Amino acid sequence: MFLTNLAYLDAGSGSLIVQVLAGGAAAIAVAGRFYWRRLLSFLRIRRADEPEVAKSDAPA
Amino acid sequence: MSVGLPAIGGAAGSLLHPEPGSFRDPHSRVLRGREGEIYRALSAQGLADFEAVASTAFWARALEDGRVVPTELVAPADRPAELGAGWPSLLRHETIPVVSYPYEWPFGMLRDAALLQLDLLTAALEEGMVLKDSSPYNVQWRGARPIFVDVGSFAPLGAGEAWTGYRQFCMLYLYPLLLQAYKGVAPHAWLRGSLDGIAPEQMARLFDGGAKLKRGVMTHITLHARLEQRYGDRQRDVKSELREAGFSRDLVRANVRKMAKLVEGLDWEPPQGGWTEYGAGNSYTDVDTEAKGAFVRAAAAARRPSLAWDLGCNDGRYARIVAEEGARVLALDADQGPVELLYRELRAEGDERILPLVMNVTDPSPGLGWRGEERRPLELRGRPELVLCLALVHHVTITANLPMRAWVDWLAALGATLVIEFPTREDPMVQRLLAAKQQGTHADYEREAFEGCLRAAFDVERSLRLASGTRLLYLAHPRERPAAP
Repeated sequence: MFLTNLAYLDAGSGSLIVQVLAGGAAAIAVAGRFYWRRLLSFLRIRRADEPEVAKSDAPA
Repeated sequence: MSVGLPAIGGAAGSLLHPEPGSFRDPHSRVLRGREGEIYRALSAQGLADFEAVASTAFWARALEDGRVVPTELVAPADRPAELGAGWPSLLRHETIPVVSYPYEWPFGMLRDAALLQLDLLTAALEEGMVLKDSSPYNVQWRGARPIFVDVGSFAPLGAGEAWTGYRQFCMLYLYPLLLQAYKGVAPHAWLRGSLDGIAPEQMARLFDGGAKLKRGVMTHITLHARLEQRYGDRQRDVKSELREAGFSRDLVRANVRKMAKLVEGLDWEPPQGGWTEYGAGNSYTDVDTEAKGAFVRAAAAARRPSLAWDLGCNDGRYARIVAEEGARVLALDADQGPVELLYRELRAEGDERILPLVMNVTDPSPGLGWRGEERRPLELRGRPELVLCLALVHHVTITANLPMRAWVDWLAALGATLVIEFPTREDPMVQRLLAAKQQGTHADYEREAFEGCLRAAFDVERSLRLASGTRLLYLAHPRERPAAP
């Protein structure tokens, strides 16, 4: 919805992932889900860019 | 401009002139009015963001306690027509007396600016807002008090959105602070040479081996650099993946809180000796110091400057005297140590008149960035009406090898009343500086030659020989006033 606001600065993919790994206890579940999805995607059980992702990315 | 918003002002006869350093955020542009007043044009999206932040409780608190620059919405009827339809709103900001940049701040100022940024971000997150960038150029100073000036940086935090400004915070705040705190390396030259800051990969090369064990290094440097290298050229939409994995506002808050703790714990002590003890341990007698103070005070009281520069300010003794006479003072010194100590004192006193900056006047901050205009040279950030040049001329001419005439002419071009001290050849400090040079190199360092240069560009109102006998003070006025910058 407000994602276009933030778009002028390149947050950097690596820099975004650091925030998951640096978040301590608050980040454990998120990190688990993030890497689980990556694993599924790697094993081709799940596509990397599923349609609902693209949909939720659309500007409001 | 990526969203197709029109350019604003700048033409002959315009009421508003774009600030050359304000072009990155497509929804917000800083403009300068004819009298130097500061405006900010907002796009429709920018206005929606501003209205969102202006309705929060933290915004009201931050305005009240002076952490954010006083800002008001210009009434639609008063909005200049030249803004056009693309920029439906205009804000007016209170003007900051003198703009300064992070490559001029001592360690403590950069740290306090970082903490202000994190403090505002924490408060914003509590009410569903975020700072969409983390640039120290968004912080300015009223004396020793930091003020956040980029009101256009606040925006609502989208669902599942991470801290977009984290990388920029590392590059422009955290890494320079870590360099100084952990390695004792001043980051000023690097920040001046790279306006985007220091890259994670560059830091990782400096912090290898045992340095990785220091607090914050493994996560924010080693891991950061590795992940950046690994994911830098991949096309995957990491943002969406994180959102799907449940990245939440709580996680952003946790990261910001941990970063604030890390920054709070960083410290740097200026090395003892040298310039940090110069004010207390130099060769002046108390009588000299008192007479010098009285000379400076009389000059300031007669000139009543609104802005003064103290070149080579050291412990700030004379900057304070000028400030007591009602001036704002830019206190400049090439050595970070005394500037850091002066800043700490001023901060503890709650001073809002003296801005201490690290600056070598023989190599002052130039114009930098896009077309050399994003960051202005020192001389274009407010002309002084009084300049103090005390216990400096021998360092400039002997140590830095600047010809006396060139130095005095530069001072004259500032168009300000000048209080200048000339230590004679017999002065112990001059003798020390000369001893480091080949004999005969500075044969022209003589009182007569100095006075000849001074009188060529200035009218000397008065001079005084201090009791020690080797130091002379002059009060002088430039013959020609320069054109306005």
